[in-house]
Amino acid sequence: MKKALVSAGALIVLAGCSSGGKSGGTTGATTGPVHGGNLVIARTADSQSMNATTVFDNESIWVFEQIYQPLYTVTNNGKGVKPWLATGYKVSPDKKTYTFTLRPGVKFSNGKPMTSADVKFSIDQTRKAAKGWGYIDSAIKSVSDPTPSTVVIHLKYPWAPLLADLSLFANGIVPNNYGGKTETQFYQHPIGTGPFKWDYWHKGSALKLVRNPYYWQKGKPYLNSVTWTYVASDNTRELQLKGGQAQIDEFPAWSTVSSLKATSGVNMHLFNSTRTDYLLFNEKRKPFQDVHVRRAISLAINRGALVKAVLFGNGQPANSFMPPQVPYYQKATAGLQYNLAQAKAEMAKSSVPHGFSTTLLIPSGTSDASTIATIMQSELKPLGIKVTIKQLDPNTAFLDAQQQKYDMTLSYWTMDIPDPDELVTFAVDPNAGSKSFFTSYNNPTVVKDAHLAEQTLSTSKRQALYNYIQAHAAADAFMAFLYYSPYAYAASSKVHGFFVTPLGNYHMENVWLSK
Amino acid sequence: MTFVAQRLLMLVPVAIGVTIVVFFLIHLIPGDPARTILGIHATPQRIALLRKQWGLNRPLVSQYLLFMDRLAHGNLGQSLFYGTPARPLIIGRLPPTLWLIVYAAVLAIAISVPLATIAATRKDALRDHVVRVVPMLGLGMPPFWVGILLIYALALRVHAFPVSGYGTGFFGHLRSMFLPALTVAIALSPVVIRALRASMLNVLGAEYITTARSKGVPARRLFLRHVLRNAVIPAVTVLGINIGYLIGGTVIIENIFAIPGIGQLMINSIFRRDFPVVQGVTLVFGVLVVVVNLLADLSYAALDPRVRFDR
Repeated sequence: MKKALVSAGALIVLAGCSSGGKSGGTTGATTGPVHGGNLVIARTADSQSMNATTVFDNESIWVFEQIYQPLYTVTNNGKGVKPWLATGYKVSPDKKTYTFTLRPGVKFSNGKPMTSADVKFSIDQTRKAAKGWGYIDSAIKSVSDPTPSTVVIHLKYPWAPLLADLSLFANGIVPNNYGGKTETQFYQHPIGTGPFKWDYWHKGSALKLVRNPYYWQKGKPYLNSVTWTYVASDNTRELQLKGGQAQIDEFPAWSTVSSLKATSGVNMHLFNSTRTDYLLFNEKRKPFQDVHVRRAISLAINRGALVKAVLFGNGQPANSFMPPQVPYYQKATAGLQYNLAQAKAEMAKSSVPHGFSTTLLIPSGTSDASTIATIMQSELKPLGIKVTIKQLDPNTAFLDAQQQKYDMTLSYWTMDIPDPDELVTFAVDPNAGSKSFFTSYNNPTVVKDAHLAEQTLSTSKRQALYNYIQAHAAADAFMAFLYYSPYAYAASSKVHGFFVTPLGNYHMENVWLSK
Repeated sequence: MTFVAQRLLMLVPVAIGVTIVVFFLIHLIPGDPARTILGIHATPQRIALLRKQWGLNRPLVSQYLLFMDRLAHGNLGQSLFYGTPARPLIIGRLPPTLWLIVYAAVLAIAISVPLATIAATRKDALRDHVVRVVPMLGLGMPPFWVGILLIYALALRVHAFPVSGYGTGFFGHLRSMFLPALTVAIALSPVVIRALRASMLNVLGAEYITTARSKGVPARRLFLRHVLRNAVIPAVTVLGINIGYLIGGTVIIENIFAIPGIGQLMINSIFRRDFPVVQGVTLVFGVLVVVVNLLADLSYAALDPRVRFDR
């Protein structure tokens, strides 16, 4: 799903946390689930590809998650995993060999049974995906398939996030050797074990899946088909929902959330998410190497005001770079919250006690980023910091952030796996490809602990390590953690069973339409 | 026929000119598609490899010549975003845009001719003033606003049309595309009405009309065969020019009504730095503008027998 983005721009991503409205998803109506119906989801962008091993955009991921399934899947609270195409595993005493038992009776949508050879092939393909998600399986040394119902994963070293990594969509199972097709041919008409199978994709317009008659969960899915239509305009998606042309509106504008809550026939859902928004400081540029400057700015930002202005109150201020929906999140981490007196005291201790001029890079055409930038510009004035807002087209702003051609910029993160490892490594390790979230932040103790946590299997010891990391990252103010926001979905009241996990995933096999 | 052939031949230099301008302009815009596609996991090695695969490491002129060579073989290259050939992607998005343009032109004519007639036949009467003023509202209101009003009134309240979309099958398209086409027609009509009214007034004052009247030609026949036919030529020019502009501006209407046309494809491809698709769509836009102007020219000959281009 996604990753850091320079604010909500061209590449639409999501995540966060917090909740509001009718969270918890649509539940079953009094009559119980009924079969049939064709559901339409009006969405903000088109998919890119059905190749789960290489693409990073949510709009592809949320579709192919209905086709391919992994050995384990994320629990509804987003903090754990549960058996999915596997029924369980055994681990060797040295914690380096995991033997998985496959669920019996699972078939692909072409009617052929799934075996360990399919699993081995699928995970091996992901490991090879140098341009994609291969890094997520970097702890895996090899995969073997001793019997048709058993898969063995050999690790290079003990690896705490293994099950979380295996639950990633990129480790979804496809037929061995792509069922005799080339990789390109296969992903044009993909096959999986999921509740729905491929129908068509009119690029830039609509993508349709129909029910898989061989699906392993008896009685599911309920729907005959799901169609994702690309409707770029917020207003048009809302009108389609009200007019009955679509049953789910993906990401209505925050400004419309309260009116949609009051609209008859519409359920406005705010699902807990893992999205966290940040202000990044480029430590390769002066004066952001100075921790007092970073702390001063962090302390001068009124996060409550941002939540009101940007999210119309549908969010909460962030205290850690890890969101509450992530395992090992530490609520007690104070973070640096709004305190102008303390901010001024930090500035007085800094290398630029009388202030300085700087720029804030934001993508053009995104009202949220403009609002945040304008508020910050005004909030940093009392510290003597003169902020010039630098707007570039979203693509260029994103690339400039990655190449650290900025002073300050906005970005955000959403989780892909129910384990903090991916985010923590990305955010605090200057030697990872991300250069500490493109900030060049380098605290050797934090980096050491981040890697130690990867190979620590004891939950309590991991918690202690992540507590330390969160506390020190907050004190170092390598980013200003702004706010956590929910996933907003507006759905027709005829839609039941629709639930989005904090990682953004949804299971369409549970969804049904009442008459 | 010589005229038609000449105009069709003109397509070639126009298309080449369009490709040159677009190709070099898009490469001036900052942003690297390889880096965009690889996203946050981009490393210099991966970027270099992908750039090599896509030929982006070659000199610009060499890339352009490669593009033209492919074009000559009917190949618009691969979409960098979708990883599929660009030609079917563009061709698949062309019908909704053509539907919109043609449907809007038909509705604009259907609105303009009667209103201009009503106004011209009673110059300075109340109905003339009404026709001159009211349609101007359509010109003054931005199309996205008009579109939303029409959706509220005719789709959400009356349920006469779908809220948006392209529909399926001929009648599905006819129904789904009515509101977007009407939105465009409302913006187009005021200009056409004014042009048509002015030329009708000119024709009505001409000597041959007075002569025809004195010879007792029935009013209906006089109007249809003599007044309208002669007056419509300037209006066709105005309509042609405005449709030319409209082709480039379809993206707004396509956005409001979720029409999967090439305008929307163009904008998305620019944001994704999907060079081959942007080049292909621009080429299509250029060709469409020339074709619309050609059709306008040809209609002169059909409307006025005195006009013969091939002499």
